Amino acid sequence: MILVYDKTFEGFLTLVYDVYYEKLQPKKILTKFPNTLLLEDILEIKTDEEKSLKVLEAMKKKFPKKCFELILNIFMCDTKEFELNLLRYIILGFRDSNELFNINQKEVFFLQNLEKELFRHVHKMTGFARFEELKDGTLYAKIETKFNIVYFLGKHFFKRLNNQNYIIHDINRKLAFIKNSDFLGVQSIASFEEPKLSQNEQKFKKLWTTFFEAVAIQTRENKKCQQNFVPLLYRIYMTEFL
Amino acid sequence: MRKDIYEKMQILADSAKYDVSCSSSGSDNNHKTGELGATHNSGICHTFTADGRCVSLLKVLLTNFCIYDCAYCINKKSNNIKRAAFSPRELADITINFYKRNYIEGLFLSSGIIQSEDNTMNMILRTLKILRHEYRFNGYIHVKLIPGSDEKLIEQVVALANRVSSNIELPSDNSLKLLAPNKTKQKVLQPLKHAREKSLEKDTKPIGMSTQLIVGATPESDKDILKLSSVLYDKALLKRVYYSAYIPVNDDKNLPAIINKPPLLREHRLYQADWLLRFYDFSYDEIVSDEFPNLDEEVDPKTSWALLNLQYFPMEINKASKDELLRIPGIGVRGVFKILKARRFKSLDFDDLKKLKISLKRAKYFITCKGKYHSKTPFYKEDIKQAIIAPPKKKIIQPSLFDINYSHITGEL
Ligand code: SF4
Repeated sequence: MILVYDKTFEGFLTLVYDVYYEKLQPKKILTKFPNTLLLEDILEIKTDEEKSLKVLEAMKKKFPKKCFELILNIFMCDTKEFELNLLRYIILGFRDSNELFNINQKEVFFLQNLEKELFRHVHKMTGFARFEELKDGTLYAKIETKFNIVYFLGKHFFKRLNNQNYIIHDINRKLAFIKNSDFLGVQSIASFEEPKLSQNEQKFKKLWTTFFEAVAIQTRENKKCQQNFVPLLYRIYMTEFL
Repeated sequence: MRKDIYEKMQILADSAKYDVSCSSSGSDNNHKTGELGATHNSGICHTFTADGRCVSLLKVLLTNFCIYDCAYCINKKSNNIKRAAFSPRELADITINFYKRNYIEGLFLSSGIIQSEDNTMNMILRTLKILRHEYRFNGYIHVKLIPGSDEKLIEQVVALANRVSSNIELPSDNSLKLLAPNKTKQKVLQPLKHAREKSLEKDTKPIGMSTQLIVGATPESDKDILKLSSVLYDKALLKRVYYSAYIPVNDDKNLPAIINKPPLLREHRLYQADWLLRFYDFSYDEIVSDEFPNLDEEVDPKTSWALLNLQYFPMEINKASKDELLRIPGIGVRGVFKILKARRFKSLDFDDLKKLKISLKRAKYFITCKGKYHSKTPFYKEDIKQAIIAPPKKKIIQPSLFDINYSHITGEL
């Protein structure tokens, strides 16, 4: 059997509810109806607030905090197919929450590794994100990332840029973490205009590039190694690689 | 002629680049409301240079003018190079603006000696005061103390920095006398000792301190070097010793004749050995001895120790204590934790270890799982060593161009 849900967290919790109470045996979980004809039964899950809240409450009560957080984090890995593993993980937890730490269980191992991958990605971006100073002094960063991480980045920079206003803009997901005097948190960004940069912006970009080139040791040049550490994917908005 | 700011940056970043201690890791997270900047415990790389090194700090010299003439140093007085100096305000402004744009974690500030030791230290202090007091910058600052400057100045700098260091450069006084006549081990360690005494008087956590040693410019053995490091760690004087493969930048009759390559492998082995001292509870004389005063370049120091101590092996993965597991070559701290966690649920066999993604490349020669030894190599020092250095080639059924290109990409052998 194939299940189809709408890719929302509520939708997924509804799916967990239905699988659990109706003893479904999904082989695949999709977010869109397949175009091709398949022999398997296809069942569409209709997102249901009541069911999803029930599952949510049950998990909060029964699951250790760390495991509950893991579930939320996995949901940020939106470019990966994690659904089947996550479903099995949650069912495993309802049977015996101790098992949620048993890394000999396939899905536990898979999800823990995926969570690590998420945090590695967040960690890299905490270094590779670049802010530009706008006319009004706001710091503005554009990002394009593998996973949905604006929230984590926003939190990270809250410590660092505590006395500054800043925006971290996820171009592809159309989300932004915004911090200014009236708002703090993630917002969706329907449309935006390219903002005006401050007067000093060019100067510091050029100084940074000058520094970056001066510290390289020419006789040990190793572009391949450099590219392993900063894959092209990350370089889109990095001043020194433009 | 006045130099523009870009040219200054070019000169002063260029002359600081051989200094290795650039990591900001290990300082506590300490952000304050209403301030700019925090330090991050694990250290964050903000970019990588064309030679593949991590950049996390704005690492520059305040000036590359110097009144001294140390043989190995690019900035020595008798070298005819471009000279420049930042003003404290210029440097503070650049630091703040780089930080806001997330180019850097903080500042690593070192300097040649301009006019006098005190004058130099004073300029450094002014830079720090602007950053901390005027801009309320709370990020990471590492300062190279100037040996021989006034202790009062040192105290003030230490109070404003996250970490300070003073480079010993060469592992023995004899070598120093030869190559850096204005320095002695005593003199370079003096500011660190003083900083430590002062910080012990207060009951705050003592400031992190480190030093750097140049490897390969003078004849000391790895044993001499590791012994020195280990004494410095034991006395808790230093948090970190950095090793820097000697790169010739000057011609000098007292320096080793032209070497083709800096001793990078030796540097790498020293870092591995240092790691064993700090995190694996090894003592230096377990790793090097009078009989073998230098680290084996063919295998890493942990493997080398294991080969000389085969009586403790093979270790049973399901029984060995945590401390014992930590001594297995190829299994790191993280691997040990994974094993301990998984062991609570079942007794592990070889495949379980693979599933846990524990690298068995070296470990397999030193362990048993449920009493079974999985390597076909005879359990003798020389055989194991040979197998590790040149693992038996797998039979490739159809070697093709594709295989070669592929291994080129993944780096696998
Ligand atoms: S005192 Fe420092 S900067 Fe001056 S020559 Fe010696 S090592 Fe170089």
